[in-house]
Amino acid sequence: MSQSANGKSIRRRAVLGALGAGASASLGGCLRRARSVAGWDSMDPVSLRIKTLPADSDPYALHAARTITSWYRAAGIDAQVVPVSEEELLRQVLLGTDFDAFLVRTASLQRDPDLFYGLLHSQFADARGWQNPFGYTNLDVDEWLETQRRATGDRRREVVAELQWSIARSQPFTVVGFPDEIRAARRENYTNWRSANLRSPQGYLALRRVAGGTTERTSDDDSDEESVLRVVGTDRRATENLNPLSVEYRRSGVLTGLLYDAIGHVTSEGMAPWLAESWAFADSDGNPRATVRLRSGQTWHDGEPVTAGDVAFTYALLADTSLGSSEGQDGETAAETRVPAPRFQGRSGLVDDVRVLDDDVVVFRFGDCSPRVATRAFTVPILPKHVWQERTDPASISGIEVGSATEALVTNNIPPVGSGPLRFVQNTPRESLRLEADESHFLFDGESVGVRQGIGPPEFDRLELQVVGSDDAAVGVVAESGADVTWTPAGADTVPRIGRTAGLGLLVHRSTSPYLVGYNTQTPPLTNPRFRHTLARLVDRSYLSTEVFDGYARPAVSLLEGTEWVPEELRWGGTDPVTPFLGTEGELDVERAREEFRNAGFQYDDGRLVRGT
Amino acid sequence: MALVDVLLQVGVVVIVGHLLTMLLVVERTDRRRDPERLSAVGRIRSNLTSVAPTLGVLAAVLAINKVVRDIGVELSWLIGVNLTGYIYLVESQFVATVQSFAHPALTTYFGFVYVFGYTFLLTFPVLAYAICERARPLRVLFLTYILNYGFGLLCYVLVVAYGPRNFMPELVDPLLYSSWPQSQLLVQQVNVNTNVFPSLHTSLSATVALLAYRFRALYPRWLPIATVLSVSIIVSTMYLGIHWATDVVAGVAVAWASVELAERIDDGTLSGSLRRWQRRGADAIRK
Repeated sequence: MSQSANGKSIRRRAVLGALGAGASASLGGCLRRARSVAGWDSMDPVSLRIKTLPADSDPYALHAARTITSWYRAAGIDAQVVPVSEEELLRQVLLGTDFDAFLVRTASLQRDPDLFYGLLHSQFADARGWQNPFGYTNLDVDEWLETQRRATGDRRREVVAELQWSIARSQPFTVVGFPDEIRAARRENYTNWRSANLRSPQGYLALRRVAGGTTERTSDDDSDEESVLRVVGTDRRATENLNPLSVEYRRSGVLTGLLYDAIGHVTSEGMAPWLAESWAFADSDGNPRATVRLRSGQTWHDGEPVTAGDVAFTYALLADTSLGSSEGQDGETAAETRVPAPRFQGRSGLVDDVRVLDDDVVVFRFGDCSPRVATRAFTVPILPKHVWQERTDPASISGIEVGSATEALVTNNIPPVGSGPLRFVQNTPRESLRLEADESHFLFDGESVGVRQGIGPPEFDRLELQVVGSDDAAVGVVAESGADVTWTPAGADTVPRIGRTAGLGLLVHRSTSPYLVGYNTQTPPLTNPRFRHTLARLVDRSYLSTEVFDGYARPAVSLLEGTEWVPEELRWGGTDPVTPFLGTEGELDVERAREEFRNAGFQYDDGRLVRGT
Repeated sequence: MALVDVLLQVGVVVIVGHLLTMLLVVERTDRRRDPERLSAVGRIRSNLTSVAPTLGVLAAVLAINKVVRDIGVELSWLIGVNLTGYIYLVESQFVATVQSFAHPALTTYFGFVYVFGYTFLLTFPVLAYAICERARPLRVLFLTYILNYGFGLLCYVLVVAYGPRNFMPELVDPLLYSSWPQSQLLVQQVNVNTNVFPSLHTSLSATVALLAYRFRALYPRWLPIATVLSVSIIVSTMYLGIHWATDVVAGVAVAWASVELAERIDDGTLSGSLRRWQRRGADAIRK
């Protein structure tokens, strides 16, 4: 009603205007027409910047990103690769949300469907760190994520299958594939390389020293001779920062995992006690409750005892690194001023609260989840209260408070005080790091260990880490006996060299850390799931795995690929069942790609993909 | 220790190079002994005294360069512009084309020139100009070095760029590192992989060649040696996949600007020409 009246009044005014002065009327009409036209004429070319790592830091990322960009460009997208250092990439993507798309290799993933909770739940859409870096929001997915936490058996399997279908269709990220980890190792000082999983802290505890190696040990008794495990890699961040909460400095968390203990650790048979001696689950009001007994007599590397208080403190700190210290200012509640840790949220969020029962016993109350999912919370590093309680104030630079981060998030934490099997000795920023075995650790207690899978106390007295410029150089250092193993994985093109060099063992391990292209689903046109779906169809993952990874990678649809959780129809079978490549053998079928984008509501202008704004 | 080996190798080769080139280049000018002339040692002493302030500044710049390099990287991620993608848009796969002519002999030659030749090229003029009769060549040389490092440092802070070997690893081989892996230990001591624009290898080599031309009357035989060597070094930065052609062009520009500026500073004409510029600007406004 009002609209037509309005329209009428406008028309009346126009008529009056026309009657009033012919010239001004024609001008007015012209302007109005220009405005109408302008309303339509705002097609913007679609452009994408893919941030990724330079070849020195990652042997495959840049090649993969450039290949993907070439497909994007063929489809008319103005795409460009932006190489950024690893620390800076994580800072820009995870903390600053300053990206369109990024291609990285993730940390080693836990093989439980609950990993999606932290990655994709919309409650984390604005959270920093590895909590939903894509800003993805989907109510159905949220519901499945919550349901799978409490469901068990076949019901959970069904929900997880639905969840994966939905993720595969809406593509908050595209899984490129799981690369094999290639390493060079010398055999003369240590053995058991093949079964030691160097992507996890436990791998370093599974290495066995060779009696009579070049470190010339006379017999099995403890001689004074120091044995050193020398590792060389391309990642220099650990020489500058050892804070387990600093998301931009952590890759696999292996080193911080050796410095800090968690309550439990992941084995092939599920979660097993680590810092805890045992735990028992009970039901309280329908939610699980766990009574955890810690190993007695454990100490931090500075000599203080590890207590139940430290455990309770750690979970409180992860939930809010300010520990409510800014509560009350400007009338804000603790919930409003929370500064959660940028890592571990998906896991620590399972915990409702932790109570100290006595020095060695804590009681965990969990939210709505099954005990199996609840144990995931046991894998976060336990931090000493007496060190970290000083770090809950807002971070400052030379006394000036800047931003909302707390000291706990920005400290480099050197020297770190942990309770793990290795303790810190010395670091030279950008060059080296030295750790040593801590003989007061429970692994040295012998029979009380109760840990399986060949894990024992470290068989080296010292771990020396050296940083070099590229994977090639790292292999070179090992080849010339400068180190025992490459600590960061090397690229496929180093394989012939490792094979040729005498005394050098080639280690190829399947990994659980995939490469993925993550999209910022909060910036148009990436907000549009159809656009992301079509984008994923521009990527030929079989081609990438043969051309870029030289066959040392397995393409995948789901992050859970290789586990029992992936339904038959979602497994990789030579092609992607949900977002198959629009072309053949790395050659994009441009006409089909254009067709798909047009169907998704986009247009082409002179070969360029454009969209209305 | 591998790094020590590399340093030792470089040291020995460069010293031998110095001796041979000295014989070749300087010998003749020394021959006409004239009683009034100072001895070589005396000349070095008097030259060094007269360039001491400039040398002090150079030493300070190099020291700052060493300290700031680490901080500079942090700073350039904070305020710098990431140009890598744009450089690629400008020149595309030019460096890959250069590398398509790769041959083991060429790789050995360019690798040698990049490490040994470069060190030699930068240090030889210091000796050669130190023993000549005038202090000006040495002073101008030091001034150009100061300006080169100054420009370089400024660009490295303002610009973040990765070299071709980092940006298109599938097309450009890190030939230096694959043919002589130990060299990486040396290079990573003095270089950061985001600092490729402009190429300091290019700018300093070109600077030495330009000065060899300016002062050709002094050592006519040095000019062809310096020219060949500096062109080889400039080509090697691209051939080895370390620099973009854009870096090289920028490097030559920096070299030219450094030489022009250094000469004017030394003449004291810089302030004069600045004044003239100002006057011209003022005139233009008045008109």
